[in-house]
Amino acid sequence: MPLSLQTENLHQFFVQSSESWAQRFVQEHAPVLTHLPAPLGELLIMLACCVIFVAVVPLLPLGLVLAERKVSAHIQDRVGPMRVGPHGILQTLADGVKLIFKEDHIPREGDKFLFVVSPYIIFACSFAVFAAIPFGQSILVSELNIGIFYIMAISSVIVMGVIMAGWASNSKWSLLGAMRSAAQIVSYEIPIGLCILTVVMLAQSLNMQEIVKGQDGIGNWLIFRTPFTFIAFFVFFVSAIAEVNRTPFDLPEAESELVAGFHTEYSGMRFALFFIAEYANMFAVSAIAVTLFLGGWHGIVPTEMLPESGILGFVLRAITLSGLLGVVIKTLFLVFVMMWIRWTLPRLRVDQLMNLCWKYFIPISFFNILGVGIWGLIFPKDSLLSIIISIVAIILGLIFTFGVLGKSLSKGPEPPPNSAERRVSATT
Amino acid sequence: MRHYLSNIYLGVYTALVGMRITFKQMLQPSVTHQYPYDRSFEQKKNVREIPKGYRGKLDNRIEDCIGCKKCELICPVDCITIATQKLPKGERLWDSMNVVHLKDRTEIVGNIEGDEKPASNTTVTINTRDDRTVNVSSEEIANIVERKPVIFYLDQFDIDMSLCMYCGLCTEVCPTECLIMFDNLSDGVEYSTFDRTDLIYEFAKPEMYEQPADESTEAEAAD
Repeated sequence: MPLSLQTENLHQFFVQSSESWAQRFVQEHAPVLTHLPAPLGELLIMLACCVIFVAVVPLLPLGLVLAERKVSAHIQDRVGPMRVGPHGILQTLADGVKLIFKEDHIPREGDKFLFVVSPYIIFACSFAVFAAIPFGQSILVSELNIGIFYIMAISSVIVMGVIMAGWASNSKWSLLGAMRSAAQIVSYEIPIGLCILTVVMLAQSLNMQEIVKGQDGIGNWLIFRTPFTFIAFFVFFVSAIAEVNRTPFDLPEAESELVAGFHTEYSGMRFALFFIAEYANMFAVSAIAVTLFLGGWHGIVPTEMLPESGILGFVLRAITLSGLLGVVIKTLFLVFVMMWIRWTLPRLRVDQLMNLCWKYFIPISFFNILGVGIWGLIFPKDSLLSIIISIVAIILGLIFTFGVLGKSLSKGPEPPPNSAERRVSATT
Repeated sequence: MRHYLSNIYLGVYTALVGMRITFKQMLQPSVTHQYPYDRSFEQKKNVREIPKGYRGKLDNRIEDCIGCKKCELICPVDCITIATQKLPKGERLWDSMNVVHLKDRTEIVGNIEGDEKPASNTTVTINTRDDRTVNVSSEEIANIVERKPVIFYLDQFDIDMSLCMYCGLCTEVCPTECLIMFDNLSDGVEYSTFDRTDLIYEFAKPEMYEQPADESTEAEAAD
């Protein structure tokens, strides 16, 4: 592995790699800027990237909130918002305008400073994640050598904001929500980290761009590379849902129990920031899942197999190589699956939530790591044979599980031997 | 171990079953009517059947109103306001119309030619309000409301429907049955307005006294 965790290296990775990325960009695409004094051209490019992301990314929740409302409506045989604009497409904008004009209320007994600061922490962190997600071969804010590590680190800071919000509100609901959120996010960081580790073991890099580069074509997607990453993808995805506090894991903001959880006391624009951050988070974790498991900006067809010449070839190549479309389509599909799950499954209890994480996901994740390690020892890296064997194994496994094994397993678990013990664990 | 695996299997399997159901549901057409904007559903059968006890709103055939103020008196919520001027003694404007109730529960509004109390087994000719002539056997008639002379100018006949409790007492006491609860569904059931004063129904028509050209009515009244 190219990574060694020493401070100088860390500094080198953070600063130099991003500098060299911008330098490269200036030399290749904008040679005019080389006439400027040394760091200025690169800074301009970086600034442009930042501005684009800061301007574009808040628009995502606008669409996603509407999509969520539409998906939920159609699942429940309704039509959702229809009044503002054609088919209600401007509804979120109208809601945003309403929220801007609402009273900005701060609890008198609360901690004013933390109360004001925490939405910005959550907002900033959930947006900083986007800096390391590659949306295309050249559409990337910062090509970090430790990209996925950076994402893990920065998204863990969100829980700080949540706890600050809960504490500063000086409200029972908020504090309970924040505590639950802390327990949940800290727990689910572990399976997520372990699932990422399986990917990193296969890709042999923490660099998001490097991880994507090995996944050209659907057979090379890391989800199909070994049967273990196939399992890891689902563990990762479910844990990601838990990490962004969405149903069925929305205990921190359980409406029927905690009013609104950690943002009960927030109103107006600060509440809107939480809301935007939630949907931005949703998109971010989906994009990470796509990058790690579903081939990132690569298409389904490998680039070499695309037609060389002609308009069709040019268009397909342009779409595949720019990659933005591929990432966005795959990510939006995962976001849709999240919404779909949200409107299907009821909320878990706290003990069930912890059971799922500690008793199921973490052992399965360790099993995956072991499996991927053994797989890597048996098969040489990226051999065609290993891919074929793995896809066959996945299909056979699915058939076996749902066809043969299912009949004996679907009888349901036996009643727990000691129900008193379970009741004790339910209070945790 | 079997318990553990079974839990995993059931967790995945039941979630997939639920997701299949919700996905099917998503593809179904939604049942929402975009009501005030899209009324196409009204053409569908059984969508707008009005229940039997529906009374509708109050309506007054003001030409037949004799200004007796019985409705104003009996109204439990005092939502009817009537102002009248009496004509000089012995004068009258016209007579109110007959209301003929048939045994099949239909009613005909108009003037009966000849005697108001027809003998049995005769044919009764009615000149209806909308200028038709209807012949009815006297066996079919259940009840006839007699004509009454109109001896008041009605300056004001207001019913505040925002106060009305739809009890229908006023229609029961009305001697000429000109005040009715009217459930004409072509008007729909939408009585709401954007201005509360629009709910005060003003039935008085002063212009009907000013026109002596209202000859047909007076000619009939002279009969």
